[in-house]
Amino acid sequence: MAHKQQRFDPYDMNGGTCVAIAGADYCVIAADTRMSTGYSILTRDYSKLCKLADKCIMASGGFQADVKALQKALSAKHLIYQHQHGKQVSCPAMGQLLSNTLYYKRFFPYYAFNVLGGLDNEGKGCVYTYDAVGSYERVGYSAQGSGSTLIMPVLDNQLKSPSPLLLPAVDAVTPLLEAEAIDLVKDVFASATERDIYTGDRLEIMVVNAAGTRTEYVELRKD
Amino acid sequence: MAQSVIEVPSKGGFSFDLCVRNDMLAKKGVQLPSYRKTGTTIVGLVYKDGVVLGADTRATEGSIVCDKNCEKIHYMAPNIYCCGAGTAADTEAVTDMVSSQLNLHRYATGRQSRVVTALTLLKTHLFSYQGQVSAALVLGGVDVTGPHLHTIYPHGSTDSLPYATMGSGSLAAMAMFESQYREGMTREEGIHLVSEAIRSGIFNDLGSGSNVDVCVITKDGTEYLRNHMLPNPRTYVSTRGFSFAKGQTEVLSTKIKQLKEKVVEVAVEGADAMEE
Amino acid sequence: MDLDLNAPHSMGTTIIGVTYDGGVVLGADSRTSTGMYVANRASDKITQLTDNVYLCRSGSAADSQIVSDYVRHFLHQHTIQQGQPATVKVAANLIRLLAYGNKNMLQTGMIVGGWDKYEGGKIYGVPLGGTIVEQPFAIGGSGSSYLYGFFDQAWKDGMTKDEAEKLVVKAVSLAIARDGASGGVVRTVTINSEGVTRNFYAGDTLPLWHEELEPQNSLLDILSSAPIEPMRT
Repeated sequence: MAHKQQRFDPYDMNGGTCVAIAGADYCVIAADTRMSTGYSILTRDYSKLCKLADKCIMASGGFQADVKALQKALSAKHLIYQHQHGKQVSCPAMGQLLSNTLYYKRFFPYYAFNVLGGLDNEGKGCVYTYDAVGSYERVGYSAQGSGSTLIMPVLDNQLKSPSPLLLPAVDAVTPLLEAEAIDLVKDVFASATERDIYTGDRLEIMVVNAAGTRTEYVELRKD
Repeated sequence: MAQSVIEVPSKGGFSFDLCVRNDMLAKKGVQLPSYRKTGTTIVGLVYKDGVVLGADTRATEGSIVCDKNCEKIHYMAPNIYCCGAGTAADTEAVTDMVSSQLNLHRYATGRQSRVVTALTLLKTHLFSYQGQVSAALVLGGVDVTGPHLHTIYPHGSTDSLPYATMGSGSLAAMAMFESQYREGMTREEGIHLVSEAIRSGIFNDLGSGSNVDVCVITKDGTEYLRNHMLPNPRTYVSTRGFSFAKGQTEVLSTKIKQLKEKVVEVAVEGADAMEE
Repeated sequence: MDLDLNAPHSMGTTIIGVTYDGGVVLGADSRTSTGMYVANRASDKITQLTDNVYLCRSGSAADSQIVSDYVRHFLHQHTIQQGQPATVKVAANLIRLLAYGNKNMLQTGMIVGGWDKYEGGKIYGVPLGGTIVEQPFAIGGSGSSYLYGFFDQAWKDGMTKDEAEKLVVKAVSLAIARDGASGGVVRTVTINSEGVTRNFYAGDTLPLWHEELEPQNSLLDILSSAPIEPMRT
């Protein structure tokens, strides 16, 4: 029997779904905690959220090793920033930094699908959404990762935001209250878990507001 | 070409060495192989007075679940059932076809179908398609010669076993059987072990999920326990519910066309009423 | 880890046929694998063709099963037409007919063994291309490469039934110890003028060869017994 040539593949897909919603004075960032490969679950309890600064949280799906490397690179840069400026980096600045870090590896990309959420300098919720090579945009809400195609249309329907091309610029934040946004996130994740095999086990939600950040968990289907 | 045969590190810039070659291969129609896998966990075991079959109820297309509660235990004859893994269309078609052949054979002979008959019909069909018909089956039944359990692979090879598993969750399920199966189990023990094997597939294999279907076949009859277990209820329901405001779809133009007047025929008294 | 569960079922096998004074002994392991997964650990690779002829199968399980099903069918017809049992030679010829005629479709090597009143105990090897060779002993499957030297040394003309059976079990267990594609139990079939005897040797009763470990049910058994010697080189 002819054996097929084995080629080294530096990438794996570990799945996972991330969602972020920006409100007037809060931001909700959420991701499931399942990490998988092929048809196997590697762990049911892996956090995809990374607190990069006081008011800035990144959620990432894709290839775990690349995500880890990306988080490490950003944390290191943030540490240097703190030493040089004696303050926390702002969420919009971190948004630009993430874009630059991704584009730096344009021809050997980080296989990571990110959303960045937090509060901007005015205390307003902000969400940045990315592709794997650094194209990014400030939006009112976003979904990334394996279940994003299932979640995004629902968010579009429920949180329809004005076009970013409008002049004068219209605020992209959603009109929902914090509790309503959290409720929506829980519901869309429960729905995505029904149909996406790479989403499940547990939902980790981080809420950023003027009071600080807090985390809550919701169980998801484990099949 | 005066280029070095040995690959030396480039002094900067991109390497486009393989672009021309890849382009040529692409033009020749070569593409990276893509596989369409259909995950499943199906199992069966022989117990004291018969056979227990089990299956999960998830059907997938790539990473998307396309059916959350499908039936994978197919009817072959009143005393024979067959679990199918692989391409859903193939398992459905092949079991339906053999089921009808068995039915005709019962009319011709006036006797109960035998499991070996189903086995032979299935394996010869699958062998003749050389693995192209991707149906991996667990066939179980009770006939005049006793209880039987077989596995049938897409290439047409068969095994006769006291306990069997198939599909992407077969390893998870087999782990349960290898550690807990005993000879001469009772009906309750059999159903319990089959359910545990399927649950093992549901929770540990991403290709399998949702509910547990079980089918118990004895010489006295068959019991199909559809959705014997429902271990995966929805975890969260929105307290607000959803409302969809009118006008989500933009109306570009409206045109209303009057239908023609409906002609009603009235039956004349005394005449025969028209029948459909 | 790539188990390759979609690979066709194949029997990376050890199969053996040995003639002795008055009959034949056939032997085989019981492992059937798909890629790296053991799909059946207790399979029966010694298939009955008629009352007095048996077949050891190796290679593709689907192919060898189809061939043996056809040959069994033809031999039954032949037996009815002739009114007497088919000879081993006829069986071997029928197998060759299918194996040679469909050589580009089939991936299977077989060993036919049996007893008939005309020629006594006979072994025929039917390897991949569809040749038949009458042999005093025949070995086949992936495990056979470990056994050629052993058989050159250990096989003797005019063995007794017990000697032949002992030889077969020893040979299969040797191949199981070295060949990863062979394993499980040892099955034997002895055929002579008296009839047919099937024997079964469980995996944990087989002799242990060089550096093989005692079978254990659990890691706990090992831990609770003797302290483990550190590995040395």
